[in-house]
Amino acid sequence: MELRGITKRFPGVVANHDIDITIHRGTVHALVGENGAGKSTLMKILYGMQKPDEGTIRIDGDQVSFHSPADAIARGIGMVHQHFMLADNLTVLENVVLGGEKLHGIGAKARAEILKISDRYGLGVRPDVLVEDLGVADRQRVEILKVLYRGARTLILDEPTAVLVPQEVDALFDNLRELKAEGLTVIFISHKLGEVLSVADDITVIRRGTTVASVVPGETTPKQLAELMVGSELPSPQTRESTVTDVKMLQVEGLRLTTADAEGVERTVLEDVSLTIHKGEVLGIAGVEGNGQAELVEAIMGMRDPDGGTITLDGIDISHLPTRTRREDGIGYIPEDRHRHGLLLEAPLWENRILGHVTQKPNAKGRLLDLKAARADTERIVAEYDVRTPGIEVTAASLSGGNQQKLIFGREMSHHPKLLIAAHPTRGVDVGAQAQIWDQIRTARHEGLAVLLISADLDELIGLSDGLRVMYRGRLVADADPATITPEELGSAMTGAASGHLTHSDNDSAAEQEPRSSQEGESE
Amino acid sequence: MKKIDKNKLILGIAAPVLAIVAALAITSVIILATGKDPIHAYLVMADFGSKSDSQVWIINKAVPYYLSALAVAIGFRMNLFNIGVDGQYRIAAFFAAVVGGALTLPGFLQIPIIIIVAMLVGSVWAGIAGLLKTTRGVSEVITTIMLNAIAAAVIGYFLQDGRLAVKDGNLFHTPNLPASSHFFTIPTQPAPLDGFLVIAVVVGFVYWFVLNRTRFGFDLRTVGQSESAAEAGGVSVQRMIVTSMLLSGAAAGLIGMPTLLGSSYNYGTDFPIGIGFTGIAIALLGRNHPLGMAAAALLWGFLERTGTQLEFEDYQQEIVGVMQGVIVLCVVVAYELVRRYGLRLQQRQVGAELAAQARKTEKAEVSS
Amino acid sequence: MHRVSKIVAAGIATAALTLSLSACGESSTESGGKDKGVGLAFDVGGRDDHSFNEAAARGVDKAEKDFGVKSKMMTAKNGETEADREQRLSSLAEAGYNPVIGVGFNYGKSVNKVAKQFPKTTFGVVDSASQAKNVYGMVFAENEASYLAGVAATLKSKTHKVGFIGGVNNALIQKFQAGFEQGVKDTDPKTKVTSEYLYANDDKGFNDPAAAKGKAKGMLDAGIDVIYTAAGQSGNGSIETVAGKKGTWAIGVDSDQYLQPGLAQYKNSILTSVMKNVDVAVYDLVKSVHDKKPLTGNKSYTLKDDGVRLSTSGGFIKDIQAKIDAAKKKIASGQVKVSETPAKQ
Repeated sequence: MELRGITKRFPGVVANHDIDITIHRGTVHALVGENGAGKSTLMKILYGMQKPDEGTIRIDGDQVSFHSPADAIARGIGMVHQHFMLADNLTVLENVVLGGEKLHGIGAKARAEILKISDRYGLGVRPDVLVEDLGVADRQRVEILKVLYRGARTLILDEPTAVLVPQEVDALFDNLRELKAEGLTVIFISHKLGEVLSVADDITVIRRGTTVASVVPGETTPKQLAELMVGSELPSPQTRESTVTDVKMLQVEGLRLTTADAEGVERTVLEDVSLTIHKGEVLGIAGVEGNGQAELVEAIMGMRDPDGGTITLDGIDISHLPTRTRREDGIGYIPEDRHRHGLLLEAPLWENRILGHVTQKPNAKGRLLDLKAARADTERIVAEYDVRTPGIEVTAASLSGGNQQKLIFGREMSHHPKLLIAAHPTRGVDVGAQAQIWDQIRTARHEGLAVLLISADLDELIGLSDGLRVMYRGRLVADADPATITPEELGSAMTGAASGHLTHSDNDSAAEQEPRSSQEGESE
Repeated sequence: MKKIDKNKLILGIAAPVLAIVAALAITSVIILATGKDPIHAYLVMADFGSKSDSQVWIINKAVPYYLSALAVAIGFRMNLFNIGVDGQYRIAAFFAAVVGGALTLPGFLQIPIIIIVAMLVGSVWAGIAGLLKTTRGVSEVITTIMLNAIAAAVIGYFLQDGRLAVKDGNLFHTPNLPASSHFFTIPTQPAPLDGFLVIAVVVGFVYWFVLNRTRFGFDLRTVGQSESAAEAGGVSVQRMIVTSMLLSGAAAGLIGMPTLLGSSYNYGTDFPIGIGFTGIAIALLGRNHPLGMAAAALLWGFLERTGTQLEFEDYQQEIVGVMQGVIVLCVVVAYELVRRYGLRLQQRQVGAELAAQARKTEKAEVSS
Repeated sequence: MHRVSKIVAAGIATAALTLSLSACGESSTESGGKDKGVGLAFDVGGRDDHSFNEAAARGVDKAEKDFGVKSKMMTAKNGETEADREQRLSSLAEAGYNPVIGVGFNYGKSVNKVAKQFPKTTFGVVDSASQAKNVYGMVFAENEASYLAGVAATLKSKTHKVGFIGGVNNALIQKFQAGFEQGVKDTDPKTKVTSEYLYANDDKGFNDPAAAKGKAKGMLDAGIDVIYTAAGQSGNGSIETVAGKKGTWAIGVDSDQYLQPGLAQYKNSILTSVMKNVDVAVYDLVKSVHDKKPLTGNKSYTLKDDGVRLSTSGGFIKDIQAKIDAAKKKIASGQVKVSETPAKQ
């Protein structure tokens, strides 16, 4: 497959221009670049979801033009999205045949086909299990199978490892190697360089919307690759000198939270969660998504009312106070999903600056809004936090993810919080903004801010935190010292394989650690 | 910055223009299909609508429509669909008429009491739907429709001789209000304007001010734009739902007042119904904007005024109804198209400007 | 920019409004037309309701045939306001129609109000009283004719259960109900009358045959075998339903529904119709205006002078005609007083 001179003038931050890539049959081809570099756009073009403005795509020498994903599927190209597109309440079999009923029907023939594909590539898929009962890694395999079932010979995987723990990543890579051995082509999008180097045959680096280099894993190092990606030196999340004081800022004692699901069945999502964060301390929570981190954050923010236990902020019991009071009392919040919880996408930036702080200065005077002051302060945030925008009247939706995050961060920090809850603060944020956010967290910590950090990026967690806790099935099952722990050790606790106090053991193969430790580990 | 604002202005004008052009085109085709001349129809409407008595009629007609649209819009801004404005204003007007008919106080007391009773009853009726939504999770669409039917039944029960009504020829109505409760009129020629016009303007201003200039209004709009962001931002969504339903109902309570205090002076079997539904169309048409809805209410009045005239020119009576429907559809579609286009345009501009900035810095890096 | 544009918009809107108000000083009433014939403003349902409106239209048609007057007929929409009705009447008057007749009690207020603005035009209103010099109010003793319908229903019912369906629970329709119930009771106290309404207070009740169908179905299922429906156009639904079940009777209203082409396929189920001679009344008014001796004031059309009566088309009540005539005589002589409001239950 060949892409030549692909250019896409596209609403958003980075347009693709002059993309040239050659992908060989039967290889794993990695496409790397920082967030917002244009990888996803390129893949959407390849998958027929977007049409390029210029340039050609050739498959086996034929020039093709895709108008829809159906065209791409017809040419044997399939896509596994970053966010799974599965119906939870259907079985694996039903999910796979959904929309592809014409291929092998929906009965025994389809089941046989699924099992055949599953065996052939070692996917280990069970057709009759409900998708809602599957873990993340299994769901991903169902997605892959879905694509293969439709006859794909080329698979596009968009950030497939973002949701996996290290052990699952290895299993995924084994699957990819199987596919390759069977002559299939895999296009693998990632910004985790260690992974890329370990699995890819060819690597194409994309920066600011264009291809800047094509390399072979054997001839490069993560550091070189990262610098190609960013175009300059790398940031690091390291914070080693401790600023932890003995003033307790947030204390959570025996927190219990239950929630009723759609059928009304009570489910415990948090059980006996206790933690303390001091002034100047960053406490990191590691865990596979969906193990109660989101609920913990929501309980501390007051969006969910705990069923038991207490939450104390700076000596005040806030367990059952409304969210607004907690914010006024000094909790800053960087939500996990900024589009749902952090922004009004269709409102101008200055209204977004008011969001969450409508009762506080400078946004309000008494019960009235102070639009002038709010606008002025938005200008200040934009300047101070380097939010790249043409003005404060544009809607939040028109900013790139990194700039949206900078705005949120600036907004929360402008009210001088005592405690900052940062859930995945650098997710979907480009490297420049990432470094900036890390810097600012570090500075604020120095000034006595307490931070609850939740992240799926283990390097970020290890690099920023003063202490680490691991969350598994609603409980804090393990703690670790970020100074010594490795992502692998953390990973096994995240899957429930280890608990208690984790210590670093040196017999963990250092060789394996090297490629895993991606960009951030390098500048040490 | 300037560029975006210029676009904003053009886009702002583009939507209504697009909608009106499309609506005219579709209506013309329909009139042509009935074998008549559309241009002549528009001329008749324009001519008749510009007559002074038509203008007075249109404005008087628009006042309750506008109030109704405001009541609906309060819900819309919250993402709540209050279909029950119709029942709310009827039951509110009914009980206001009962109270007003039973009291004989000086006008400066009597009129406010009647209005307050109407607003209270309206908010209680709407509040039921709000409470059911927050406590039982019942969709307000369902409850408000049901409450419309219940309101009609309640009024039907009480509006009988010997209950709360008196018989007058073939009509039942509540006892007439004393003369002290007659609302003032604005003397214009050839017919007076309804004094409630002033109240409508004031309520429109209050609506704009509360929504755009107060903390409460910001919270309300936040919930309307993103419930999840509002909750994370510290807005109590549940309480907001109840509050906004109460406000919507209170505004709905005003809808019947121009009629009650200005012309009928009682609530009878002939009291106008259906204004609550018209309000939904007008709120849609006016995009929940206080000025937009005023224009839409006037447009509605204009169509109703001039539609009758079309019948004298042998056009079908239904043409006006078709026109109203087509206009609402066109406006909804046109605004959505323009909104999406605007959003894309803005994103593209932001992208372009940032790319330009980036190129500049890149060059600077290279040259340094 | 943002704010300025809003203020500008507000300014333009205000200016436009004041300008248009002041600039076009001419009132539409000043540009009237010549004598164009009869203006007829219907209530909901329109002229083809096979019932009340159609009766009025028939009167105008007859006048048209007899002395060649032209006419214009306009129909109300569901959910109208007083202002809509006033506009319809004044538009007709302005256009030069004379007389202008409002058909239905909903026009009671508006006819009397508009009439004052057009002193040279004669107005008429059906089912409502005149309160102005140039208004002719035509009211009917529906209760009396309904009494006879009650007598007929009772005598024809085999199950001894009869039903009444009203379109809207208002004073006018209650007259139908009151007369019918009294007629049943006076004929056979053991026969059970069920009276129901389609709507409590929504004029849609005269324009919703589907609702009437449902009510009638319910009554038939409950064993009722004679149903009297006073609901304008909605009555068609009830008649259709009754025709679907053998051995049951429908009683029509306002016009002789047996004779109506639109209901021809159900006519063998229409026992009789309570006729309001709206056509006669309307014809009288039109003729009087044509003769330059316009009628004004109030006129009550009663059983005594055949202003209301029971139709005999189809001959289904021939066998009980004697008893009906006897009842009629009692009412005409004042021996029986028929109530206008239903007895409290």
